[in-house]
Amino acid sequence: MFFLSRTQVITALGAVLLALYVLDLVRRRKLSEEYSLLWVMATVVIAVLGFSTPLLTWITHALGFLGESSTTFAFGLAFSLAMLLYHSLKQSRLTLENHALARELTLLRDEVETLRQAGSREPR
Amino acid sequence: MTARVLVVIPAHNEQASLPATLAEVRAQAPTVDVLVVDDGSHDDTARVARALGATVVRHPVNLGVGGALQTGFRWACRHGYDIAVQLDADGQHDPRYLEALLAPVIAGRSDVSIGSRFVSSTGYRAPWNRRLGMLLFSGVVRLALGRPIYDTTSGFRAYNRKVIEVCQYDFPKDFPDAPLLIALARRGFRLEEVPVVMRERTAGRSFYTLGKQLYYPYKNLLASLMALIRKPI
Repeated sequence: MFFLSRTQVITALGAVLLALYVLDLVRRRKLSEEYSLLWVMATVVIAVLGFSTPLLTWITHALGFLGESSTTFAFGLAFSLAMLLYHSLKQSRLTLENHALARELTLLRDEVETLRQAGSREPR
Repeated sequence: MTARVLVVIPAHNEQASLPATLAEVRAQAPTVDVLVVDDGSHDDTARVARALGATVVRHPVNLGVGGALQTGFRWACRHGYDIAVQLDADGQHDPRYLEALLAPVIAGRSDVSIGSRFVSSTGYRAPWNRRLGMLLFSGVVRLALGRPIYDTTSGFRAYNRKVIEVCQYDFPKDFPDAPLLIALARRGFRLEEVPVVMRERTAGRSFYTLGKQLYYPYKNLLASLMALIRKPI
């Protein structure tokens, strides 16, 4: 391991493990393909940034950050925020849909009960 | 032809206060129909209400007071009612005022009538935080509409058919207060306040818990602003 730093090994292992775990979740139908895309992209970003020190250094200088670790954290934070906002959006929509469904169920149940009572009162 | 009126009572764990409320409505307004929307209660709300002759529909989960009213409006539309009245289960709203509340809507003078504690002196004294909120939101409504509605938080209102047609699809899910009034006025509906006297609740717990008291001003300020700037659906 003379050409890899310890950080690179850890990052590579982390990225591979995360990727495998995400793919396995998709395989077991626990995670939809739609969401897996975000996580796979995250894995790729981690792998690339963690592995290629020159690229990370270049981005750090280009963006004017003080150190490479800041760049990593900035990307991580940006990703987390985007993910959180995305989930809030999803959840808001699910809430609306959920309420609409519950309301529809309520009204349908009422209709069924009404019909059933009418049916028992005057049998065909 | 007389108008068909439906009183919608949202009820979440209200088995204790419902009997008195239903009996009063029956006594004061024998010609109106009553729909109790059981909002996912864990007690005997539905059974109690049915035993007392009300029609009951039950939410499978708790959707909040606005959600329950929306279900009521949906039901009213499907069953061909001309007017829907919203009335609290807890006995705050005295059915003796039903006639006065309904009058402007039946006469076609307004589309929404609001049972108001503040149009004329009715002797109502709220706790200071509640009073502050009421003051704030009647200010917000005055700012938005250019004219005052004094009692924005009143849950004692009557809506005509045109309004319930809209509300069955578009209604605030938690606090149907100032933002709703702004949205309705912006759609061109005529709002009117009718003086009523309200009472203390007789049993059960208020919808407005501590957490909601903190969330309420934020949510309603934002929703009021949105009601003012967004295009009605």
